[in-house]
Amino acid sequence: MSDEALLEIRDLRVTYWGKSLLGFKGRAFDAVKGANLSIRPGQTLGLVGESGSGKSSIANAVLGLVPANGGTIRFGDVDLAAMRTRYPPDVRGQIQAVFQDPYSSLNPSMTVEDIVTEPLRVHTTMSRAERRARAVDLLRLVSLSEEHLERHPHQFSGGQRQRIAIASALALTPKLIVLDEPVSALDVSTQNQIINLLYERRDELGIAYLLIAHDLALVHHISDRIAVMYLGHIVEEGPSDRVYRSPAHPYTRALLDAVPLLDPDAQRRRRASRKAAPARETPRLAAQGCPYRNRCPHAMPRCEADLPPDYPVDGGGTAACYLFDAAAGQGSARLRAVPA
Amino acid sequence: MKTVPSDGAAAAPTRSRRRAGGSAVIVSIAGAILSLLVFLAVFADLVSPYDPLRQNLIASLQWPSAAHWLGTDDLGRDVLSRLIHGCRIAVIAAGEATSIALLIGVPIGLFIGYRGGWWDWIVMRIVEAVVSIPGIMVAIVILALLGTGLHKAMIALGILFSTSFLRLARGVVLAEREEVYVRSARVVGASDGRILLRHILPNIAPPLIVQTTLTVGAVLLAEAGLSFIGLGVQPPDASWGTMLSTAAAFMDLHWFLAIPPGVAIILTVLSINLIGDVIRDGVGRGIAVAARPDAGAPRHAAPAVVEPSAAPPPRHRPDEVLRVEGLRVTVATADGGELPLISDLSLSISKGETLGLVGESGSGKTLTGLAILGLTSVALRTTHGSIVLNGRDLRGLSQRQIEEVRGNEVAMVFQDPTTSLNPAFTVGSQIAEVLRAKHGLSKPAAWARTVELIDRVGIPRPAERARAFPHELSGGMAQRIAIARALSCNPSLLVADEPTTALDVTVQQEILDLFRDLQAEFGMAILFVTHDLAVAADICDRISVMYAGEMVEMAEVGALFARPRHPYTRGLLSAMPHASDRMPPLPTIRGNVPRPGTWPAGCRFSNRCDFRIAACERRIPLAGADRQVRCIRADELILEAAQ
Repeated sequence: MSDEALLEIRDLRVTYWGKSLLGFKGRAFDAVKGANLSIRPGQTLGLVGESGSGKSSIANAVLGLVPANGGTIRFGDVDLAAMRTRYPPDVRGQIQAVFQDPYSSLNPSMTVEDIVTEPLRVHTTMSRAERRARAVDLLRLVSLSEEHLERHPHQFSGGQRQRIAIASALALTPKLIVLDEPVSALDVSTQNQIINLLYERRDELGIAYLLIAHDLALVHHISDRIAVMYLGHIVEEGPSDRVYRSPAHPYTRALLDAVPLLDPDAQRRRRASRKAAPARETPRLAAQGCPYRNRCPHAMPRCEADLPPDYPVDGGGTAACYLFDAAAGQGSARLRAVPA
Repeated sequence: MKTVPSDGAAAAPTRSRRRAGGSAVIVSIAGAILSLLVFLAVFADLVSPYDPLRQNLIASLQWPSAAHWLGTDDLGRDVLSRLIHGCRIAVIAAGEATSIALLIGVPIGLFIGYRGGWWDWIVMRIVEAVVSIPGIMVAIVILALLGTGLHKAMIALGILFSTSFLRLARGVVLAEREEVYVRSARVVGASDGRILLRHILPNIAPPLIVQTTLTVGAVLLAEAGLSFIGLGVQPPDASWGTMLSTAAAFMDLHWFLAIPPGVAIILTVLSINLIGDVIRDGVGRGIAVAARPDAGAPRHAAPAVVEPSAAPPPRHRPDEVLRVEGLRVTVATADGGELPLISDLSLSISKGETLGLVGESGSGKTLTGLAILGLTSVALRTTHGSIVLNGRDLRGLSQRQIEEVRGNEVAMVFQDPTTSLNPAFTVGSQIAEVLRAKHGLSKPAAWARTVELIDRVGIPRPAERARAFPHELSGGMAQRIAIARALSCNPSLLVADEPTTALDVTVQQEILDLFRDLQAEFGMAILFVTHDLAVAADICDRISVMYAGEMVEMAEVGALFARPRHPYTRGLLSAMPHASDRMPPLPTIRGNVPRPGTWPAGCRFSNRCDFRIAACERRIPLAGADRQVRCIRADELILEAAQ
């Protein structure tokens, strides 16, 4: 699989330095602590986690917005991590992005035409007329039209702005688009319009997506594979349906169980079982060993010693959890025995 | 982080109203004064009645007369002619010094602001050193190096004033470079120079323009000052500064000499500042222009005047805490009209009950919560309806009485706990303050109760946490504190506006459980405003669905999710991500939520509804008693769904 991967991330570390009083490098904080991921051409990887999990740091490292502090990000035949955010133009044009907030991701002083054609201006020698023609094509791709070219972002609704951002990301027909929470600032009725649009364009243009989101249910709809992050670690990875329907890692399960259901009765039952479980007051981050062990209902003495490696899971993918250590004879059966 | 666009629809109209009512006459006068200034500067030789240097010692220090309109100075020179020639100096001085300041300050400021690091550190230390010395001293030192004279003085002033441009440009770039659009530009591959000039510069133009006009004014004054102390324009040349200098020497003999140059300086500086404000608003980010209605949405006639509800008020319920009837909130528009944001809204909440107010952005749900508490901004007016809390109509109360109610009977919890708490005080002191002010507790008693409350909202080590500042707490923890503060006055109604939207799902779950437990213990009624139907399903007893400023459906939570009756509610439910298991295309509701003022005249959902018929062009009342729905086809559609 890794031979044909479009993007292959190995042992990626992303570190931020706080500022000391004089404005020099201060304390280090590892946002990503050795992540492995791969995306095949034309496929979508959903990267899920709560705030502070490091998912956006991975996105920023792939986009070259923050330097990697270790590991490799192989994209085609080049290592992006080694380039330290200075990507050559041909690589830069292959990786585009759509960000979360459509209200601040579009330059308020530029027209839609300027925004959509900016990648063409930077990367091609197209004439103004050619660029305009391409802009019209791009707007059609996202269900907007020529009449919108002269307008400014503030004249559009959130969903329409996100369409403009997508049109701009599609301008160079990239191989990979990083979607950083592309719909979480949008209304429910608009979210699905954008998800559908992204899905259709992916199949038409053969683009791969790295989809960053906090909502597993939403990611599940358009991802081929899902990776789940917790405090800088990828704790589970696997085919989308398997992760969503039979989550392996206890954290993935907790994440899924925490999403409120649309059915008030099912919600009531779930609440009752939650109450029955003993409350635990522990720090979120365990200093060593498994990062989740302080909140994990299955924590074992083993979990305190070492970081669990990735174990294969039935149905595909891996989970960084000793429950899946076949050698220890525990297998995944044990997790299923725990009442939901 | 999850963010949800707020329901604030009022900002744009207020701004545009201010502009529309602006003093066009004063602006024209300012423009005329500046045009005259430039005209006089260019054609000074032709216009001035006398040679400004020609002396006539016999006719010195004369008052204004037909021959000399503004009189003569100590050497008998015509004041008007000198004033006109002074215009030329003023224009050259202002132009030269301001351009130098701009050309030095802005590029360096942009560069160090964007690049940061060592460059920034070194340049800023130099600037701080320059700024810490009085400006006139710096100018004198530079002049001492360059020699005296107008142009050299202007170079000195340009260098001096460049520091303020530098700091301003750096400051705004520091803010702008964190904007997402700059990240987008970097992803596109734009070079640093391109990002600075093409992407950032246009957005920082407004403050730079203001700074430019302020600088022009300051340069005029500084030129006058330097000339006054003999370092600028040299006598006998005429500038406003040298004229003032002369006037000062003859203050006792002939005070009028100071008037012409003084008035000229004041008028010019005022005019430039005024014009600067106008230009800034013009090139601003476009937000000063009233936002046009949705580009994609079909235009509809302004909504017909909404008559106070024809629908019967909701049935009285046992133990009613809050009862709202026929609420209407409007915003004043630029043309003096009133645009409804909420119309014909009636609801009631009983003791121990949670009513969900659900809708997308622009539905008016947040505004409803604020209107109930009387917390809407000044541009908004509640024009109709009654808000009865515990038997008292809040709309009849004075401001003081309302404040009394807000502290004691109603409390509010907001979306973002980290901004709703004051960062300057410990969280415990913020709760204790409420207890002391509203309940008259002594300091120790208030603190003891505070710790008790913090313990009650499930925070471990409450005595220690009470001394923490808001930024030391996680989002979930801060929200618990905000809830503890809301509970401190033991309210009978709690308005919670998207209290879990900014939190992670696992934390959201804990906070929802907390609301439930506290309600069981304290028995307050909760008005829970949220955009998330699944959260509403979890926490609410009844749910009212809002769309475009009115309620479209209201039902018990089980009934609403099992059998939604309004097409909009159905659309929302099927659009929820967990609602469908299939791959895209996911179900959608076509179009966008219309903004206030673009609502369809009849049923406001009709332009997005798949079940629309001709009768939907009329206003549709909310029908039903316990279960209410605003759709004339609701009964037919149930049958259809059942088949």
